Amino acid sequence: MRRVKREFASGSLRCQAGREARCLPWRKYAVIYGSVLLENLQYAANVAMGFFSYFVFIFIFIKLWEYMYRTPGELIAGYTKEQMIWYVMMTEMIWFGSNAASVAKEVSRDIRGGNIAYLMNKPYHYTLYILAKYTGEWSVRLPMYAALAAVIGTVMVGPLPRFPLTGVWAMVVCVVMGLTINAVFKLCISLLSFWIEDATPFQWLYDKLILVLGTMFPVEIFPEVLQPLFKLTPIYTVCYGPAKLIVDFSLKKCVEILAAQAVYLAAGCGLMFLVYRKGVKKLYVNGG
Amino acid sequence: MQAITVENLSKTFRVKRKEKGMYGSIKAIVHPQTEEIRAVNGVSFSVEEGEMLAFIGPNGAGKSTTIKMLTGILYPDGGKAEVMGIDPTKKRRQLAYLIGTVFGQKEQLWTHLTPYDNFRFFGAIYDLSERETERRIGELAERFGLGNFIDTPVRNLSLGQRIRCEIVASLIHKPKVLFLDEPTIGLDPVVKENVRELIKEMNKEEQTTIFLTSHDVGDIEKLCRRIIIVNDGRIVMDDSVEHLKHHYPVKEAAQANEDSFASLEEIIVEIYKSEESS
Repeated sequence: MRRVKREFASGSLRCQAGREARCLPWRKYAVIYGSVLLENLQYAANVAMGFFSYFVFIFIFIKLWEYMYRTPGELIAGYTKEQMIWYVMMTEMIWFGSNAASVAKEVSRDIRGGNIAYLMNKPYHYTLYILAKYTGEWSVRLPMYAALAAVIGTVMVGPLPRFPLTGVWAMVVCVVMGLTINAVFKLCISLLSFWIEDATPFQWLYDKLILVLGTMFPVEIFPEVLQPLFKLTPIYTVCYGPAKLIVDFSLKKCVEILAAQAVYLAAGCGLMFLVYRKGVKKLYVNGG
Repeated sequence: MQAITVENLSKTFRVKRKEKGMYGSIKAIVHPQTEEIRAVNGVSFSVEEGEMLAFIGPNGAGKSTTIKMLTGILYPDGGKAEVMGIDPTKKRRQLAYLIGTVFGQKEQLWTHLTPYDNFRFFGAIYDLSERETERRIGELAERFGLGNFIDTPVRNLSLGQRIRCEIVASLIHKPKVLFLDEPTIGLDPVVKENVRELIKEMNKEEQTTIFLTSHDVGDIEKLCRRIIIVNDGRIVMDDSVEHLKHHYPVKEAAQANEDSFASLEEIIVEIYKSEESS
């Protein structure tokens, strides 16, 4: 009884007149996630079509780093050859595995085409609805790319030295947090469509920032002056942090990255809700 | 009790204007020009609980904009509206539990899912318990005759079957007010009649208030007792369907038909025409 009272006070027990539902506020988002997951499982074969691009990309980087590392055991920016290649494979895995349309193209299209009007009049928050959809999309893609990365890495590079199996849970949490932060920032950019005709150029700039500066090389490769600056950008929490943790795990680094991700996620969500609240008042949907 | 009250509701859109050709495109970048369009202009009306109201008008009259303001999608520039005592602009999500919407030209169902999975999905969205959702699906599936295709993916359904499922999905949470925006568009006469009967039955049994916009006079005649005609964002007529049919002086139509009364369609056309000319 006490628990029911507490749930009611916190708004989680939102019973309409005569309704007997015990309503958990996150249940609807879990259902959205499950439905998208089901849908995407039907198209898993389409995801596999992207494997070729990933393989070509990784193959080029393997050859590049094999050329750069002339002597065995050599370190570049503190990374061994294996760590460097695994780093790129992990960041590219995150990049390819999370490359879903819902947070970027779909939101812009919804706003510009007016479809958002038909999604907003349901008792959920539109941005959380999109995030749930996005999570359902990458839940199919990412494990497939992770499996591919594991196979390519093990066969062509060899297993990661000192890979701590006990830290896998932390790595998974870190990757999931990184993907969510990335989605939140991409969603913020897409929400600019409430004001501007097309948010695609901003989306393109953000993507290239992550792709070029975040996925191809670890932050340590760049000049020392720039490194603190990079750590302030989403690069640190979206791809560098999770990948670094996978290739060079330490509990201290894990706590540091998770803390940064928590701050980033809280700030990103705050910004996302604010932009949405302001933007939705600007919504222009003419006609039936 | 009033289900909907609207006082002096207004909405203005700012639309971009561009001169033709390349010069116009460049000029629009350097010096963008906009034009204000008053989509809804001081509209006031109220709807009783359980009433079935037809809210009609020519294209661009402001019908859909009014519906979107009543459902909290658009923010009005002026005036105020209340649906089931809730201000849609302030408590949109709370209001969503009390209203249902069917847009005939827009799918709300997930096409890769079956109707049954869709209904369960909407049940969860509206915070219904599993048991309540199942009970409601059983009830509505029987009433709307969905038994044969409830387990067929929505993308494989005919338009008539899909519209019936759309209506069921919007009723799953037992809304107090149902907004129907051209629910029978594109349907054949038999299916149209069937959908109308179902809406009527549902209104009778669940006392659901119906706010209908349609260009199909059959929908209005079969379903609604009251009609509001809007043009240029203003209300030009608010009357009962019966009174309008028997008392509106339509010269052309009556002469043409040699009937004592013109049909509702002829009356509506005449009102649209006279509004256009004035």
